[in-house]
Amino acid sequence: MVGRRAFGVLGDALGKDKRPIEVGLLYSRSGGYSLFSEACRSGALAAMARINADPAYDMCLLPIERDPGGDVDLYGPLCEDLLRNTRARHIVGCVTSWSRKEVIPVLEKHGGTLWYALPYEGFEASDHVVYTHACPNQHLLPLLDWALPAHGARAYLTGSNYIWGWEMNRLARERITAAGGEVLGERCLPLGSREVGRILEEVRATRPAFILNNLVGPSSYEFLARMHRLASEDADFSPARCPILSCNLTEAELPALGAAAEGLVSAGPYFRTGGAGGFGSSLEAAAHAAVLELARLLNGRPDAETASLPALLENAQGPAMIDRATHHTSLPVVIARVQDGIFRTVKALPAVPGDPYLARARTPAAAPILRVVS
Amino acid sequence: MRIQNLGGATAVILHRPHPTVQALDRQLRAIGLQVSQAWPDLGPAALGADFVFFDADMGHDEQFPWAPGQSPMPMVALIGSEAPGRIEWALRAGAHAQLLKPVGDNGAYSALLIARDAFDAQRSLSVEIADLRRRLDERQTVVRAVTLLAAHGARDDAAAYGRLRQMAMAWRVSLEDAAARVVARLTAAEEEVDDRRDRG
Repeated sequence: MVGRRAFGVLGDALGKDKRPIEVGLLYSRSGGYSLFSEACRSGALAAMARINADPAYDMCLLPIERDPGGDVDLYGPLCEDLLRNTRARHIVGCVTSWSRKEVIPVLEKHGGTLWYALPYEGFEASDHVVYTHACPNQHLLPLLDWALPAHGARAYLTGSNYIWGWEMNRLARERITAAGGEVLGERCLPLGSREVGRILEEVRATRPAFILNNLVGPSSYEFLARMHRLASEDADFSPARCPILSCNLTEAELPALGAAAEGLVSAGPYFRTGGAGGFGSSLEAAAHAAVLELARLLNGRPDAETASLPALLENAQGPAMIDRATHHTSLPVVIARVQDGIFRTVKALPAVPGDPYLARARTPAAAPILRVVS
Repeated sequence: MRIQNLGGATAVILHRPHPTVQALDRQLRAIGLQVSQAWPDLGPAALGADFVFFDADMGHDEQFPWAPGQSPMPMVALIGSEAPGRIEWALRAGAHAQLLKPVGDNGAYSALLIARDAFDAQRSLSVEIADLRRRLDERQTVVRAVTLLAAHGARDDAAAYGRLRQMAMAWRVSLEDAAARVVARLTAAEEEVDDRRDRG
């Protein structure tokens, strides 16, 4: 299906008198997090096909793909390859924050722009990156605001051993302890590891009110499968009594989880039942939105594709999707629970601007203005 | 360590107009700070800023409305030429952290947090040192208080010292403050006695 879409991108382009613009795609189609990659990739390709078929756009977007195969050390070189050896200045890609941080120096060196369509841990606002999915004020904080009163403030934290797991757990710990709650345990696993036994033992021993799962890919699938089995043996660990929460679970991963998905809670900008606009998941939607916005910014502006991101945003017409200070976007917040294989909305909040440094949308009491006491 | 958010904090960049200033300005605004620029001098308004970024290449002491090393807020040096003399000056001026020029897409956030931590540590040490100094200076008062208490009924110097400590605990003040009170009271009492004797 994806292949047919890719063909469609080019097929539509050939027939029209449109200026061709090469756009890089940097997604790992194999490896532990390929389900995320495929969701984003199909969203990006669908958007390109739509642009290319639409006479209102004076361009056709030509995808130039590079596949790091899940090897974090290949992202930098392949990004460099795109920026040096093709005409692509804009790259839609990267799943993990680790890989994003690998490509940023390359983008700086060559003046390229990355369109990043995954939820991430915040505390970044690169001049070379557009962030079209959620950051913590759009996922983790509203999720905890809901979970602490609903389920209690005794938490177990887990995550993959890189910046996503570490920072998400740090922020969660800060929030939970500030609310008078308690973190009963925290354990991270190397990316790709399935050695979840110790985490299970700790969960069983501490009996938390909820678990925050920041594991990625195979670690997460193994952990959730084992938790599902544990819940069938001991009702204390059923989703109703000890829900497992995450900020990166979407429909894209449900096939890998099967029955173990039942009862999982996730926060994100959309779910298929909550207004994802016909997309398979919010990942697909965020990559699709990224490409549409890129096309909108380039439309009717010859050679704009060679401009830097700030220059492109500076002279943009019409309502801006991207905040010019942070390069983040405004997104709704939906908290949803998997029920009969489908995410059902538990709570929906209106759109909130991405606030990567948690500096903006907070009450004065929560965000004391720094004052020097001399 | 709890990372406080920086939203609403103010920063002044003391640097001549330059792409480095623009890049730093962008980073700071993205983090949520309010930014202003100053050159060639920091005006008095800078006294209210939460952070100062200053040019280490062209900087000199007269640009600051405070004595070298006495800034009332964390300071970050913007270092272009890593010449020993310039680094020495930046340190003397009171840099709590540094950012290398040209400033690009990152570095400001860690510089802010490191500068603030160094500033806070320095300030709490200064307060502690000032307190220790004051207490050192007041050793003489403690000696006088012990002597006076010994003259007013205490068995010996050790017993007088013990009484002084008990008073400090009862009054919930430092030993030095208790000594000052004892000296004030007993001296006043003695003077009263002297007065009466003179009148009598």
